[in-house]
Amino acid sequence: MQIRDYILRRLIVLPFLIVGVSIIVFGLTRIGGSPVAIYLSHEMSSEEVAEIEARFHLDEPVPVQYAYWARGVFQGDLGWSGVAAAPVTAVFPNKLAATMELAVASAVVAVSLGIGLGTYAGARRNKLPDHITRIISISGAAMPLFWFAIVMLIVFWVYLGWFPIGRSTPEVFASISHPTGLYTVDALLAGNFKAFRDAIWHLVLPAITLGYGATAIIARMMRSSLVEELQEEYVDAARAKGLAERLVLRRHARRNALMPTVTVIGLSFGFLLQGTIVAEIIFRWPGLGRWMADSVLRGDRATIMAYVLFTSVLFLVVNLVVDVVYAYLDRRVVLGS
Amino acid sequence: MSTTSTSPPLTTSHESAFRVRLRRMGETSGRVLSNPTTLGGLVIIVVMVGMAVLAPWLVEPNTPNASQMPRDWGAIAVPPGSPGHLLGTTNTGGDVLYGVIWGARTSLRLSLIVVTVTVAIGVAVGSLAGFRGGRLDEILMRIVDVFLSIPELIFALAIAAVLGPSFRNIILALAIVFWVKYARIMRAQVMHVKQNDYVDASRVIGDSSWNIFRKDVLPNSITPVVVQATLDMGNIVLVGATLSFIGLAEAGLAEWGVLVSEGQAGISGGRWWASTFPGLMVFLWALAFNLLGDGIRDVLDPKTETR
Amino acid sequence: MTAPATNLQKTDAPVVASVRDLRVHFKSKAGIVHAVDGVDFDVRDGETLGLVGETGCGKSVTARSFLRLVPMPPGIPVSGSIMFHPRQRCTACDGAGCVACDHTGRVVSTCPACSGTGCSTCEQTGAETLDLLTIPERDLRSIRGNRIAMIFQDPGKALNPALSIRKQVAEVFYAHRSDELLASAGIDPSSHSLPTGLLRRRATQQSRTLENVLLSLPPLRSRRSAITAAADDRVAAALAETQIPNPRAVMDRYPHELSGGMKQRVMIALALACDPDLLIADEPTTALDVTVQARIIELIKELQQRHKTAVVYISHDLSLVRRVADRTAVMYAGRIVEVGDSEQIFHEPEHPYTRGLIDAIPGAHHERGRLAAIEGTVPELIDPDPSCRFAGRCDFAAEVCWTRDPALEPVGDRQVACFIHHPPEHGEAPTFDRTAR
Repeated sequence: MQIRDYILRRLIVLPFLIVGVSIIVFGLTRIGGSPVAIYLSHEMSSEEVAEIEARFHLDEPVPVQYAYWARGVFQGDLGWSGVAAAPVTAVFPNKLAATMELAVASAVVAVSLGIGLGTYAGARRNKLPDHITRIISISGAAMPLFWFAIVMLIVFWVYLGWFPIGRSTPEVFASISHPTGLYTVDALLAGNFKAFRDAIWHLVLPAITLGYGATAIIARMMRSSLVEELQEEYVDAARAKGLAERLVLRRHARRNALMPTVTVIGLSFGFLLQGTIVAEIIFRWPGLGRWMADSVLRGDRATIMAYVLFTSVLFLVVNLVVDVVYAYLDRRVVLGS
Repeated sequence: MSTTSTSPPLTTSHESAFRVRLRRMGETSGRVLSNPTTLGGLVIIVVMVGMAVLAPWLVEPNTPNASQMPRDWGAIAVPPGSPGHLLGTTNTGGDVLYGVIWGARTSLRLSLIVVTVTVAIGVAVGSLAGFRGGRLDEILMRIVDVFLSIPELIFALAIAAVLGPSFRNIILALAIVFWVKYARIMRAQVMHVKQNDYVDASRVIGDSSWNIFRKDVLPNSITPVVVQATLDMGNIVLVGATLSFIGLAEAGLAEWGVLVSEGQAGISGGRWWASTFPGLMVFLWALAFNLLGDGIRDVLDPKTETR
Repeated sequence: MTAPATNLQKTDAPVVASVRDLRVHFKSKAGIVHAVDGVDFDVRDGETLGLVGETGCGKSVTARSFLRLVPMPPGIPVSGSIMFHPRQRCTACDGAGCVACDHTGRVVSTCPACSGTGCSTCEQTGAETLDLLTIPERDLRSIRGNRIAMIFQDPGKALNPALSIRKQVAEVFYAHRSDELLASAGIDPSSHSLPTGLLRRRATQQSRTLENVLLSLPPLRSRRSAITAAADDRVAAALAETQIPNPRAVMDRYPHELSGGMKQRVMIALALACDPDLLIADEPTTALDVTVQARIIELIKELQQRHKTAVVYISHDLSLVRRVADRTAVMYAGRIVEVGDSEQIFHEPEHPYTRGLIDAIPGAHHERGRLAAIEGTVPELIDPDPSCRFAGRCDFAAEVCWTRDPALEPVGDRQVACFIHHPPEHGEAPTFDRTAR
């Protein structure tokens, strides 16, 4: 029963946090220049500009202006992107698909590799694999993605030539339609194996590179919590039953060690999300992150606002989901005592 | 029956409180440095800071603005080991060695300013919230929650973008983003320490709130802040360099992120050095402070696990 | 070699396990800790042997050595052996009890090397003999939870918080009774077909993810559920045996939803599930409420008699051990100082340490209301000198006690390690001279 209260409490707080974030985002529009600028495009006449100024009540007090802006956002009006030369909402879905494909692929890499490495190292405490994992995890937190990505490019693209750059090969891209914008999914829908391989091929290097930091965080947490769990008495009790060491590790220790790791997975998602900006610049990936970077350089505030708002909400929702999963996994947290 | 002995006094009576603290600090740093990885981190830091401080003597400063990269238009994109350009030059004739060494100075400036400002704000806000409690605490913590909802790099990027591209604005943006953590850490510590008996004791004696805070609460709450500040000395350079890599610092600034970005154009032509060396510096800088921070945490706060 | 017979009822009972010169040390920063330093004792079929001593005397390490559960490192196996003679179901009566098996339903497994005729492997006894400290990991696994089981001190810690009771108990059957499970599910375990192979791997918990997917598909699904159902039946029966009310409902609970007593019942059910020859009970009631303790003790005793299991009962509480154990071994600082019939030891302790322990029991022996305590503390176990470990706390210690180490030698029906009973060849022997006090 309490688990429902817990989720409910988190759900109630969520909208308040989102409103808080939107206030900050609105506040950013007030720094330097008129906020209405985000709705302007170059070919507008002065009447149109005046009409927009009236629509957003720039003569009214700031809170009222916020209300009008928020209503616009709520109705899907995120302004005009100078960089894309189109309304933000028109460009958003396609860019989002590109970013999501990359982020999900990295998340899969990070979670599976992180848990795998952490388990492998934790079960071999103070042996060579443990030391290697420790080096990976310590360096991961300090690794500048913009540098790591360039080094990966130099090695695997420039010198070895194993992986391509960008998101797809132009001929292959033109050979199928893209209803979802996720190239791997589109290729599968079209039943085109060549296109699927091409999409995966382009995805591998950026996904691994972007996932490195999160892998390190997850591996480190997994390793330390597994080491802790392996000292628990139930592990000896499982051995005393005559279970094979593999089962003792997987069914008993790892299951419990996964719980604290789940919360870290949520946090490392933020890490991943931030990383897409840099990864997309370096790997020429046409997603939200690169659009954001271009907008930053060209002062395209509508895009910046939309991006901050969207990523924050996404981050909040992911963390909520993670906490709920955690509460379900570890029944002791909520249900116990 | 059983032997009961009084526990040895923590201090001998003639030892002043100040000397006790000094002695304890000595013991603590001894324990911190007994860990080889922590010591390794410290060695890197010493080298980096040495480079930053001694930059004018190591490489002749560019006139009139030393923090700006000098351009040698006669030696564009020369590889490492070329005469006069030990680490090579960029596509625009910038000396990579100059950038690496003066970049250390830029990074030290950035991290010192941001850490000092954010610790000051964070500790002030966190202490106020934790010590006073009530309505004020509630309001301040909700603000903190909202700030923490936005991923820090994205937040800093948006602020710096709105303020306009310049290194000064990067500093400002990082300060706005990074104080929040300290506020939260400090509040939790103060709330915890506040419940101790010695605080009640001081209250009974009739000490003023400010005195209680200054003498009892603050010294006993500051440990996690010190750890976080050490880690952030590295993180701030990491995030700051990322912002300048994206293009938010002035072009031509002797800064590692700017240099990596500048060198990026050359990599498809096989000119790897202009990006690799400055990026490595960012990595080493962040790594060193991470190692030191972890080492300090292990000693000061053994409960929280690391590694 | 074998300890002299003491308990009349158990005189003829064969030895299930014999511990010889067991030494387990631990590496620490300060030096080598001699946690167990030369322990000898036998456990006989069907008896309860109490192992008593203060915290840190090495009794838990001794107990865990039976199943090789002492973590290495920091533990260092130094020397010694634990010879185990497994039993098997009597073929003459199929476990019902007959003359052939002395009404225990079980007979000693014959030595596989000589088929019972006597050879060097079995030291001419003809019985299967396994040194638990050296047998390969694989063989050890087939003993753990099957022939030798263990109950832990704190059931709250010994049960996995993330798994249901059903899963935790069923594991034992999957590990040791997979053939029976397959047979109950109507599958011929000896078949070599692919589906049977998959199901067998399932019944022995070896299935990988892909195999589980295959097993959840229609052709195999029903047989897979039949295996699960067979395991569930056994889990319910095992739980019912420990008088857990409504076992089918308890099966789906998680440990934190059960009381301490219930959890310990689950642990007992789990331990006795495969009808072991030997049960190691490491302070099984210490973590429980006083009111529950008595019932758990009774339960262990009752089930022991039904299963004809030998029990090594570890406790720091001498009066408790007196109630449950046929024989008692008193441990001090990594050594056994006295072994013998529980009642005898309690009434006429021979070793000064045992005397001290009994004196320390309130109202047990001497003047009422006077609570004696043994002065001093347990000696340093780091790199000890050759001396009687108890000399520093002993009222009767003579010079020899400080320079030499007394061996465990027979005194009447018992074995005692003390120079009072075995005067040294040279030097003055200590005596129970009360004036010395």
